[in-house]
Amino acid sequence: MAKEVFYSGCAAAAYGAKFSRVEVISSYPIRPYTGIMMELSKLVANGDLDAEFVHGEGEHAQVSIAYGASAAGARAYTGSSGVGVTYAMECYSPAAGGRLPCQMAIADRALDPPGDFGSEHTDVMSARDQGWIMGWAETPQEVFDNTIMYYRIGEDPRVMLPQFCCQDGYFVSHIPGKVILPDQKAVDEYLPPYNNPHPLDPTRPVSHGPQIFPDQGPAIDLQRAQAFLDTPKVIAEAVKDFNKQFGRKYSPFVEEYMTDDADIAFFIMGGHARTARFAVNHLRKKGVKAGMVKLRFVRPWPTEAVAEALSKFKAVGTIETSTSYGGAMRGGNLIHEVRASLYDLPKRPAVTSFMAGLGGEVVTLNEFYEMAKILTEAAKSGKVKKGVYWLGFEPD
Amino acid sequence: MSDFKFKIPKHLEVPMGAVIPAPVKENPGMITGNWRTERPVIDHEACTLCLNCFIFCPDACWHLDEKTEKMMWNARYCKGCMICVNECPADCLTPQNELDFPKGVVRLDKPF
Amino acid sequence: MANPVKTQNLEHIKGIRKVPQEEYYVPGHRTCQGCGPALVYKLVSKATGPNSIFLGPTGCMYVANTSYLCSPWAYPWMHTQITNGGAVASGIEAAYQVLIRKGKYKGELPNIVVMAGDGGSIDIGLQAMSGMLYRGHDALFIMYDNESYANTGIQTSPATPYGANTTFTPPGKKIPEGKVLFPKDPPQMVIGSHPAVHYVATASVAYPVDLINKVRKALNYKGPAFLHLHAPCPKGWLFDAKKTVEIAKLAIQTGMWVNYEWEKGEYTYQHTPKEYKPVKEYMKLQKRFDHLTDAHIAKMQAFIDAKLKAPGKPIAVPVQGPREMA
Repeated sequence: MAKEVFYSGCAAAAYGAKFSRVEVISSYPIRPYTGIMMELSKLVANGDLDAEFVHGEGEHAQVSIAYGASAAGARAYTGSSGVGVTYAMECYSPAAGGRLPCQMAIADRALDPPGDFGSEHTDVMSARDQGWIMGWAETPQEVFDNTIMYYRIGEDPRVMLPQFCCQDGYFVSHIPGKVILPDQKAVDEYLPPYNNPHPLDPTRPVSHGPQIFPDQGPAIDLQRAQAFLDTPKVIAEAVKDFNKQFGRKYSPFVEEYMTDDADIAFFIMGGHARTARFAVNHLRKKGVKAGMVKLRFVRPWPTEAVAEALSKFKAVGTIETSTSYGGAMRGGNLIHEVRASLYDLPKRPAVTSFMAGLGGEVVTLNEFYEMAKILTEAAKSGKVKKGVYWLGFEPD
Repeated sequence: MSDFKFKIPKHLEVPMGAVIPAPVKENPGMITGNWRTERPVIDHEACTLCLNCFIFCPDACWHLDEKTEKMMWNARYCKGCMICVNECPADCLTPQNELDFPKGVVRLDKPF
Repeated sequence: MANPVKTQNLEHIKGIRKVPQEEYYVPGHRTCQGCGPALVYKLVSKATGPNSIFLGPTGCMYVANTSYLCSPWAYPWMHTQITNGGAVASGIEAAYQVLIRKGKYKGELPNIVVMAGDGGSIDIGLQAMSGMLYRGHDALFIMYDNESYANTGIQTSPATPYGANTTFTPPGKKIPEGKVLFPKDPPQMVIGSHPAVHYVATASVAYPVDLINKVRKALNYKGPAFLHLHAPCPKGWLFDAKKTVEIAKLAIQTGMWVNYEWEKGEYTYQHTPKEYKPVKEYMKLQKRFDHLTDAHIAKMQAFIDAKLKAPGKPIAVPVQGPREMA
């Protein structure tokens, strides 16, 4: 029987992994994601989960262990935060290029220096071009659900790609919320066992990853590019089936909140979307026609869904919880892809970006009101004054 | 969501994840016999079947034929390093220039 | 790890005649003429047999063996990064443990073997190697030692001997000896601090049957094992390709290489010469040492003498006093 519990994002991820029947887990401590592994180690120690729990000697080893296990035919789970995520950078492309669909739970953390425990998306956003599926959850429930959904998507024979299953450090990872734990049987029906078509198995020997001719390089890159073209269909199916099986209401790529008649919209992903919803409610009371669009996948970037969702607004502000120093907009990452997604439309909204929630800073309601002010002005004039606002640091 | 499919020319195709079948007895993808400038020539009379050539060849190009009780040399893959000649205690192996052989690899338009 | 699933007993071989004729590292690879590491690969593969999974961290034995889109391994093989051979092997072993336990894999635990070069073992790959050996995975870590980063054009590694001319340690007016540092001692690093390891051995292509038997012994042990295998490199050490085995033998006769086993805390030594020859006899055959003066060679001799007499490493034959430099 399904039951309702009160779990942090970390516990939700751990139970998502348990319900996915992960078989090899590789750990290494770093805050804030550590909570996931602490929970899983208890489950393994108590015999509640039959898995090998391997203490990696670092994040680089964690990912190596996970994709090694995946190559041998086991469902593998790992995770990290902050500089741990960037330390493992070398291992992301072999996992993706080898088409080894292990999963890595990410609870974001700001990068050094100096040391900062706070949440910021820059850690794993730096790895967004390595060929992994990638998206953020807003609540512990979404963390739990995404964990199961990502395995279903990543292990689909049309996809075969590893996944970053992300949540904001602390804001989601450490704040408990309601989580409905489903029936194990229902999860087993939804998520078939992992089947590697070419495992490392002496009874049917293969060679994984020989050198290729340089002119085969584009072809193998293209193969991955094709997988990312095919993935949205699989995501749509997986989300639809998930909603049906567990009675949820996820949209596959972008979730819209109060957007029907909205003039301005916040474009956001992850835990700060919760605050954004409240901000939208309050703004509506004040007569501001604001809405919110929440992004569920960064990779594959849902170009059409983003274009469709955003084209109806007059002005859009992306909430940037990661940095792209020296980038085209001199601020974050999302705006680049948002603007690119809208470029070919006959009519597009004015788009700017807000640097907010960096280094673990809370994005407050007041900041959302300030963003709304800037967006309302842009909606009126039809254009933005500049591409990026560092909230709290702008000259008067 | 698109149904778009890229077209990859046949000769540039790479299997998914670059996973290829393992070879069985030899790897025809890398024939190395045409590297050779000299080949080891065996005097079967003098050979004591000590198997040094078999064990020391990095390219696994010497084998004992159980039926004939003779050492068999693999011309397709021998690179001509001459470790076998150096390690032969019976002095039954001699290096000989490929040019001395009518079908020496250096004489072939298309070696193998 | 927790459940013993390997029950094999690979046979100890007496003499070349008993070495299997079957090849699992088959002809057809782009390794150099007279390649020591290729010879190591061939011998190790004969020892393990086909119920094996090999991991190849980046290095000569990855690049030269798989160019292009083909491979010479009749058993399953996987490329790993030069950094993570031990970690990927750990993941594979853990996967097999759980798959066998759950009845998803019906066979015996395969022999899981990492074939790493010196860089992939004791330099950039050290962390992953140590992690695998520490955690007790039932896997074998082999360091084939050709004493340099040969794949990239012979650069110095922590296994490169003092005085070697490499492309990162060229001898010059200011630094006449080329490489000034002395190498790490890989088996001692393992023996010194990895309680899960019960078997460590060194072997050389000069003694192939001994090498095969050590691989088999290592695999018959439950849990991790480490082998350090001497693999002369004609291209990197600059000697004639036909002399690979001869050089390997000379290394043992001069004390530049010592074949030994460490089994549950006990040392046994193999192929120890009655009297060691001067290291110069080994060095003079290799052009990488051509630039050294007698003073440099004396420094090398002193290092080897001290190593052979090191406490905790008793040797069967007493080392002679400082030898006359020929």
